[in-house]
Amino acid sequence: MTAAILVTGGGGVGKTTVSAAIGVAAARRGLETLVLTVDPARRLANALGIAELGADPSKVREEPLLWAAMLDASSSWEAIARRHADPAVAERLVTNDLFEAATGQFPASQSYAAAEEATRFVKQGRWDLVVVDTPPSAGGIEFFTAPANMTDLIGGRLLRWLTGGKLPGRRFFFDRAARPAIRIADAVLGAGLFERVAQFLMDLRTTYDGIAASSAEIDRTLSTAQTLVVTTADPTPMREAIRFFRDLPPNAQHPTSVIFNRSLPVSWVDATAQDDDGELTENLLRWSTESARQQRLRRQFSERYSTEVTTMDWQPTAPTDLDSLESLLTTAGGYSLENLWS
Amino acid sequence: MLEKRFIVVSGKGGVGKSAVAAAIAKSAARAGRNTLALSMVGNGMGLGAHLGLTALDFKPQPTEPNLHALSIERSKALVEYIQIQVGLPSYATFTPAIRAFDVLASTAPAIREIVTMGKVLWEVKTGHWDLVVADGPPTGQIGSFLGAATTMANIVSSGRVADQSKWMREIQMDTALTELVLVSVPEELPTSETIETLEWLDTHPVVGSRSIFANRVLPLLETDAVGSGVAADAASLHRSLTTEQAIWLERLPTHLDLPFLFGAESASAVADRLADAMAALVS
Repeated sequence: MTAAILVTGGGGVGKTTVSAAIGVAAARRGLETLVLTVDPARRLANALGIAELGADPSKVREEPLLWAAMLDASSSWEAIARRHADPAVAERLVTNDLFEAATGQFPASQSYAAAEEATRFVKQGRWDLVVVDTPPSAGGIEFFTAPANMTDLIGGRLLRWLTGGKLPGRRFFFDRAARPAIRIADAVLGAGLFERVAQFLMDLRTTYDGIAASSAEIDRTLSTAQTLVVTTADPTPMREAIRFFRDLPPNAQHPTSVIFNRSLPVSWVDATAQDDDGELTENLLRWSTESARQQRLRRQFSERYSTEVTTMDWQPTAPTDLDSLESLLTTAGGYSLENLWS
Repeated sequence: MLEKRFIVVSGKGGVGKSAVAAAIAKSAARAGRNTLALSMVGNGMGLGAHLGLTALDFKPQPTEPNLHALSIERSKALVEYIQIQVGLPSYATFTPAIRAFDVLASTAPAIREIVTMGKVLWEVKTGHWDLVVADGPPTGQIGSFLGAATTMANIVSSGRVADQSKWMREIQMDTALTELVLVSVPEELPTSETIETLEWLDTHPVVGSRSIFANRVLPLLETDAVGSGVAADAASLHRSLTTEQAIWLERLPTHLDLPFLFGAESASAVADRLADAMAALVS
């Protein structure tokens, strides 16, 4: 049985680093672990000893139980199309010039691609633990709503209405009810584009059965995964973190803990210690203000959303090796992330 | 920068893009310019919070003297776009057709972007505002938004949209009217993403002028003293952080620094303090 941990949160908060740190710590406690990451910083990839990460899991050198793979949204999207459509239709889909635009623009597509890939690795049963670093564009709850949104989109009533519910073929005719929309489209877009788009959507619709079945499986997998929300004490990531508690989708577990990254030492909060040097005293006082603000924010958050809170120290430099990644976890304060696998 | 008519702000997620957009809008409003701040993607909660509002609406609402704010909701923008800009009568925009078109708009390349950019640039074109400040899409999507008019012109040669693309491009490309502001922070990923965006812009002329803000820049300590106790700990962290930030500031092309804000309590306090910092940069 493979356990899954989903690491979510807004952009720039250190999700990828936290995911890697959890992976290293888990592997060192004897768990065969896979870290699924998205676009890691060069230095983090170096820290993991994997300069070129591929979509297929590869072993991390010097850490026998640790594996890593990179989710590439566009190529995994192509893989999904090929898995769920007839070979000929799939080929037409991925070579269509609308394909790239469409996959990049469906709000949920990157999340869906990531969720499907993650589910596939969990189902393989090859690892004890799969740690999923969620895509930056959808660090929030979109990751959990993606499968449902995807089936809505592809099997959507709208599309059926548009085409009169006919089974897709190479040629088709628009339903009478849809004609006003077509007139608008032709006026706005110039004639022809609408039909190309509709044909593309019809092709996409042939993937419906596969995607629907797959979505159900993703939902089951996500519902048993532990979720961690990573944030910093800045307004934008905090808003993302709050959404996770306020708008929690039914298929997601209540987050196990909120990780406040870039936390300052609590001992600085009431710092009144004077230093001989005026500038150093002034420096301490401004950091003390910031530390106090962080602490207040963490307390409010934990009380309002009744959640565990983990603090990770503000690291001036990104971790450069496996040891420094692991120490992020072992030096963390508050709720211990070691609980994730014990 | 504040003499422009249209400023669009972009940056990697989490760098403080919305805060900087709000601060630019506040600075302009305080300088007496009739300013519109708008959010181009998402629900506008970020920009709204920095302007002291709980929510933004599709209709402009006043936030302080000389300043209004709105959020572009795509389906409403689409209706408005079709009615006003394309000139179709309102009976043609009944709901099912709009919804069908909305699905297509999210599929066809450049349509979502051109509807959004069309709304933004329409606000610039009306002449109602001295300055329009857009809290834009993240750098990953900025090319498809700013390039929408060009892409569209290549895809369709006839129809109303083709006509729209022309005036949109004219406003965007005018160095006196339009400026793209890229926000970065002195860290690895935001810096490399900013540089990549600049390189893309070098080969894709889609915007008149551009400038860069480095956000959350810590002041350097002048003293060499080590200190004692917690003061020494704070000094040590501070120096490590400023050594690290120097690496990334060095790599970032010509830019203006915005300060790290110690102990800023709320999103609107952040925008106010950034607006003060901008005023100090100008004077």
